[in-house]
Amino acid sequence: MTNQRPVPVPDELSAPFWSAAADHELVLARCSRCGQLTHPPDVVCPLCHHPDPAYSFESVSGGGTIRSWIVLRQSFLPGFEKLLPLVLLDVALDGDADIRLIGRLLDDADTPLTIGSRVQVAFEEIGPGSSVPAFELEHA
Amino acid sequence: MNSSFSARNQVAIVGYAQSDIVKHAGIPLGAIALGIATRAITDAGLTVDQIDGFTSSALFPSAGDHAVVDGVSTVSSTWLAQRLGINPRYASGFQGYGQMPGSIALAVNAIASGAADYVLVHRALHNPTGSYHGNPMQQASGPMQWTVPQGFFGPLAMIGLTYNEYLQRFGASPDSMANVLVEARKNGARIPWSYWHDRPLATQEYLDSPTLVDPIRRLDCDIPVDGCTAFVLTSAERAKDLPHPPVFISGFAGGSPTRNRLPLHWPLDDVYDIGRETALRLWNAAGVGPGEVDLPQLYDGFSPFVYFWLEVLGLCPVGEAHRFVQGGGIDSDLPSGLPVLSGGGALGNGRMHGVPQMLECYLQLSRRAGDRQRARASIGLACHASPHLGGAVVYSASAS
Repeated sequence: MTNQRPVPVPDELSAPFWSAAADHELVLARCSRCGQLTHPPDVVCPLCHHPDPAYSFESVSGGGTIRSWIVLRQSFLPGFEKLLPLVLLDVALDGDADIRLIGRLLDDADTPLTIGSRVQVAFEEIGPGSSVPAFELEHA
Repeated sequence: MNSSFSARNQVAIVGYAQSDIVKHAGIPLGAIALGIATRAITDAGLTVDQIDGFTSSALFPSAGDHAVVDGVSTVSSTWLAQRLGINPRYASGFQGYGQMPGSIALAVNAIASGAADYVLVHRALHNPTGSYHGNPMQQASGPMQWTVPQGFFGPLAMIGLTYNEYLQRFGASPDSMANVLVEARKNGARIPWSYWHDRPLATQEYLDSPTLVDPIRRLDCDIPVDGCTAFVLTSAERAKDLPHPPVFISGFAGGSPTRNRLPLHWPLDDVYDIGRETALRLWNAAGVGPGEVDLPQLYDGFSPFVYFWLEVLGLCPVGEAHRFVQGGGIDSDLPSGLPVLSGGGALGNGRMHGVPQMLECYLQLSRRAGDRQRARASIGLACHASPHLGGAVVYSASAS
């Protein structure tokens, strides 16, 4: 068995997100019908239910607050063994608490966390041309 | 919500059979299911040729890289009907979470509408060899592309995020959950077919159990098993001529979130918001409230579900379940305790996906629980899955 982390396979809806992520930029989909941001983009706009959302993708700050977290002591996927223990954060992005991202905390796994702690998106390169969102704690 | 559920108490459970619940049965799941179905039909005082309806869920609940083969790793209604030699008037599978309430709803609807007269509801669960959830995938496409590359994968990570949100929000100690585990295993130890028969759990064993995904300990997860259960349902009218006291289905309810979420992402507020709606639907359908239920069997495939169901059903205030379970709140041996895991649940039986909750309602309400028979058992409730996307059924020992 190989020991690479699984990489995302972009599709028609997600390609702009992953293309921006490769450049370490966070973009989100905005429905052209109702004008609201959503994540992840769905074939039907999750907010106004329009069947042709014709999303545009726009850059967002990537700041947010921690809603919850877990610490993986083992992984059921390849490629994570050397990263254990691994902290995964549930982050509410600034501007819309209903837009959440889940990603690794890149700070030390023993760092004390609380709900509401501020984080900033960062990116992990996990394969050639493939980067995924992660987070770093904001230090005042 | 229409508060007049016209099938209320019009359909009843009239018989059952339960296999031993074991780690690996050594015979194909389909063979076990065939035997259990036949036993349930006999138990109901019927013959195989009288069964004209089949409902079930065939979901194989593993995130791992296992082949799903009907008759081997799962058993569908159509598979079972054919192996019994029956061409059923009605056969249907429930798609979604809350598989037992979903299967019961299909059966009640079929009988109440006249689509079938005698329906066999079964559930067959399989424990594959090798890692249950381990998956060697190198690429993540579709919904999983949004979370798997980050390492967020499988049901432990899923429930871990929701549970930690609960612990942090309400200042709860993860050690309080020992009360849930000890209660489930105490009751499971008294059940002859349980995987945990004769094996109660001490509080210290729970506290010493390692975490797999903090804050989820190994013992917060039910253990995967091979097992099968079947029930026979018919109309209240036809039930009068059958050997066992019928247990009537008063109402059922389910729900599912409309908010757009990442796969397996279950924010705590989704659990509460949709869960409370499901509870309201349930009380409306069944015509009872939480105070009238003397046997509320809560789902516990992961232990935090017990907290969530306690709170959304109104059995204790929101944010208080972690205190409620301390000091005997759910001790089924105390007159003051709520018997929420008297049937052992999934933590005390093995991963039987909502079956132990339903089976305990049936056995107690039909007065067939033997040594474990409870004096007070007239209205039961069986939950399955998370309150925000699963479901629940209210059972009654009397039709009025």
